[in-house]
Parts: sequence; C-alpha cells; structure tokens
Amino acid sequence: MPTPTSPGSASSALKVLSLTATFNTTLASLRVEPTRRLSWRFLWVAPLVAALTITTVYPGIFLIALAVSDSRLGKPFRAFSALKNFVASLSDPLFLEALGRSATYAVASSFVQLILGLAIALLLSALVKSGRFLMSLILLPLMTPPVMVGIAWKLILAPAGGLLNGVLMNLGITDAPISFLGTAGLAWLSVGVADVWQWTPFIAILCFAAIASLPGDVFEAAAIDGANAWQVFRRILLPLLAPQLAAIFLLRLVIAFKIFDLVYVLTFGGPGFHTTTASFHIWRRALEQFDVGRAAAETLIFTLVVGVVTLPVVWLAKHAAKAEAGHA
Amino acid sequence: MHSLAKKAAEISAAALTLGFFALPIAFLISVSFKTPDDVLLGRFLPTHPTLENWPTAFAVTDLAHFILNSVIASILAGLLTIAIALPATYGMVRLKVGQAWLPDFTLSSYVAPPIVAVLPLFYLLKAVGLLNSLFGLILVYGFMNLPVAFWLLAPFLRQVPVAIEEAAALDGAGPFVTLVRVVAPMIAPGIAATLLISIILSYNEFLLASTLSQTDAARTLTVGVSLFQGERLENPGQMAVASLAGIVPVYVLALFGQRWLVKGLTHGGVK
Repeated sequence: MPTPTSPGSASSALKVLSLTATFNTTLASLRVEPTRRLSWRFLWVAPLVAALTITTVYPGIFLIALAVSDSRLGKPFRAFSALKNFVASLSDPLFLEALGRSATYAVASSFVQLILGLAIALLLSALVKSGRFLMSLILLPLMTPPVMVGIAWKLILAPAGGLLNGVLMNLGITDAPISFLGTAGLAWLSVGVADVWQWTPFIAILCFAAIASLPGDVFEAAAIDGANAWQVFRRILLPLLAPQLAAIFLLRLVIAFKIFDLVYVLTFGGPGFHTTTASFHIWRRALEQFDVGRAAAETLIFTLVVGVVTLPVVWLAKHAAKAEAGHA
Repeated sequence: MHSLAKKAAEISAAALTLGFFALPIAFLISVSFKTPDDVLLGRFLPTHPTLENWPTAFAVTDLAHFILNSVIASILAGLLTIAIALPATYGMVRLKVGQAWLPDFTLSSYVAPPIVAVLPLFYLLKAVGLLNSLFGLILVYGFMNLPVAFWLLAPFLRQVPVAIEEAAALDGAGPFVTLVRVVAPMIAPGIAATLLISIILSYNEFLLASTLSQTDAARTLTVGVSLFQGERLENPGQMAVASLAGIVPVYVLALFGQRWLVKGLTHGGVK
C-alpha cells in the first residue's frame, strides 16, 4: 500500500506514527477495560432499549417511509410519492380542523381537570379521616375501561330512555328529549364530561399527594396570623404548589392528546365531523379508507403538533421545579 | 357555629362529588335489570326488575371468552413489563447505565399518542405472523407500558438507602443478586402497584387491540363490547350486563390492591 510522503519530513512522519500509536493504545484501552464493563452493564437496560426501539424508533422510521409512498393498507409502498401526502394533508381543511380540535381540547380539558382535581384534593384534605376512604373510591373511574365509560355515559345521555332526558323532562325543563350526542356543541361537552369523570380522580390524587408533601407549620403560622381560607390558598398554597401543579398539568396534557376510545364509542367523531380528533381522523383514513400513506403523513404532522403544544409546558415545569429548588 | 356550617358545606360537596363519580356505574347496574320497555321510561331505578339480561348477554355473545382473553393478555403483559422495567430502572437509577439519555428517552416515548404505533405495529406483527394472536398483543402491551412502569418504579428505587446495597456488595453479592434478594423485597409495594397499573392499562386498551387482533379467537373484551354496540346487543339491558361483567375484574383488582395503587400513583407520597 503506497503511503503518502511529504518531501523531507521525517519528523512529521514520526508525529503521525506517534499519533497512531496513541490512537491504538487509546483504542486498546477502550476495548479492554471500560468497553467491556460498559457492554456488560448495558445488559441491564438492553431489553428496555430493544422494546422502545420497537414501540418508538421503528414506528417513527416506518411512518416516514409510508408517508413518502403511495400506500394502501393491503398493499403498502406501491410507489414513491415524495411529499405528495404531506401537501395533501396540509391542504385538507378537515384534517387541519381535527388538529386544531385536538390541541384545543387537550389544553382546555387539562385546565378544567386541574382546577376540578385541585378542588377535590383540597376537599379530601379538609375531610382528613374520611378523605382517605373517599380517595380509594374515586380511584375506580381511573380503572374503568374507557369503552365502558363511553357506554355508561351513552346510556345516561340517550335521547330515548336516557337518564338525563328523563330527569329534565320530569322537572319540566324540556318538553322534547335533547340529542346530546347529536348536537355539535353538546357532543363535545358530553365527551368532555365523560373524560372529566375518567381522569379527574387521577389529577385529584396527584394534587392530594402534592398538598400532603407541604410542611404543616406553614398553615399553622398563617392561621395564627388570622388569614382566611382564600388568603391561605392564594398566598401560600398556590405558590408552594406551583411546580408540582405544572408537572401535573403536563402529564394531563400528554394524556389528553391520547383520547380515542371515548370519541369512538360516544360520538364516532360526529355529528358531522364536530368531535373528530386528529387521532380519530387518522384512524378513519387508515382503517376505513385504507390510505395508509396519507395517514402516515397525517400522523407525523400530528406528532409534531403534540410536541409543539407540549414543549412549552415541559419547559415551564422544569423552570418551576428549578425555581423551587433555588428557593430551598 | 361558623365551623359547623363549614363542615356541612364540606360534607355536601363531598357527597355531590361522590354522587357524580358513582352515577354512571350505578346507572349501568340499574339498566342491567331493566327490560327494553322499562329503559325507555328514562327513570333511574327499574320499575319491574328482571334478571333475564344477565344469562342472555352471556348466551348470545362470546363475552366469557373475551373476558378470559383480556385477563390472560393483561396479566402476562404486566409480568413482561415488570421483568423488563425492574432491571432497567435499577440499571438507570442505581448503576447509572445510560443515565445521560435513557431516562429522558423512555419518558418522552410516552408522549406520542398511541395512534402513532398502530400502522407500524400492524405491519410488523403481520410480517412475523403474530397478527390476530394473543401472544402478539401480549408483547405489544408488555412493551408499550414500559415508560409508565419506569415512571412509577424510579421514585421507589431512589428511596432505597445506598448503604444497604453497599452492605450487600461487601457480603460479595453482585448487583443482580442485590436487586432480587435485597432491593426488590424492600420496594415490593412499588412493584405491586406498577404490576397492577400495567395490568389495568392492558386490560382497558382498545385502539391497538381493535387493529392488531380482529379475529374472534384472539379478541379482547373492550373490542368485543364495542362490537356488541352495532351487532348483537340492541338491548340496552344486555349492553349494560356486558359492560359490568367486563368492569368487575378490574374493580376486584383495584379494591384488592387499593393501598398499593394510591401509594404507587403518588410515588409513595401518601402513606
């Protein structure tokens, strides 16, 4: 093998040699000591990394491949289609509306559930003894399969024989039954109420734990100072809880973007497309219209939107936690 | 006097809250004892209670089979999750393996909505011949719940005093023996909570199951019940029976493990 020689430079050749030597010893030392230890230690997390590769890394790559192809469910990768699917998705008002709906719903329902959850947590902390018993009871909605939650609320909200319509008509509030799931605004409200039923207990339990972690003497001091309940809440509790509330809000936001089952059972995205979330839109595109190439492009865009909406909250939660640590 | 009024307000607020959370389940129970005509009256309680819906719902559908499928899939998936998550979490939290990136990567993989995984996993399972099989679903659930399991387990592991592990190491125990013999028994409530929550998440899952297992043989309960809506059970009473029968296993599990669940969900914050 011919070696490149620069004219009259033995010293530079030496330099290269010594560099190579250093490099070799570095390699050798890497290979012998730390690398071997590293590879054995990696076994601890290897199954996790493999599993996450299957559930996260591979889907990401596979979706990109699908998105730049003309693909049907039964026959994927029929032809390369470059950015056609992305252009079609971004110029489809129905998809853009579904994206907006998902983001709006996630943020709005997270605010509502955080406020309700905090209120329930305060109530449970006030009821000291029975609070604990109530807490294990309100855990049950969280454990209920969302499909069953949907069916239960569907029975309550039904126009024919629904409990709510029965009560409203008996009280003379309405003469004719209201189609809660068939009216645009009411259908969203219904999904939202069922979602509140399912997830607020979880938020309440997290808030309860956050309140329980606060030092008790703060409240005693405030009570001695003659502060009323609202002042204690506004001036003491809320600032102290802020970092934890931000983290709970973030968790709820992430969960809110996952909503699918309740929409599927309660409204099937209707009436019209009024309750069609991005997930549901993508599901119909892939499993009813079989256009998986377009569905993949929509999924990637949706993931980007989830990231864009979630990241500021991640930053806020981290910032709040740091500020808290700074005070301590 | 003032504090009495306050107590009364608190108790009525608690009663209202409890009523709201009890309502859908209570109504399901009530509807399960109603005839179709009785349902149309729109009352809370049945006027002429009937037991007929219960045997009929089990007779006209594969309900029992679907429940069994769900129970098997969720328990095995839960055990798989623990088997992977416990050593991995211990490796990250205590042995500092992949500490710089793996915890963040694990948690951020939870952010993606499940719809993201539907198509890729559909084609993957199809390619390896695991579509429409309970085994395929068990693997998927076992893997999908890992971020949650890590989130639940990590705080428990961090609370274990380092001195205990050091003592075990001085006695000549390797890290694996230390984890199994010393650390795992100490965080048993955390492991129990994580196992229960993983099982419940798998049992309740619908979107992936509806896509990845579409045959009767491998169908799980949530998918089966969603199909009853359009097909066999036009009768709301029988629909309520199917829903309740499906809820019972999770509620039994939740009541049996309520102490661990509350502790697990609050990172041991509520004693």
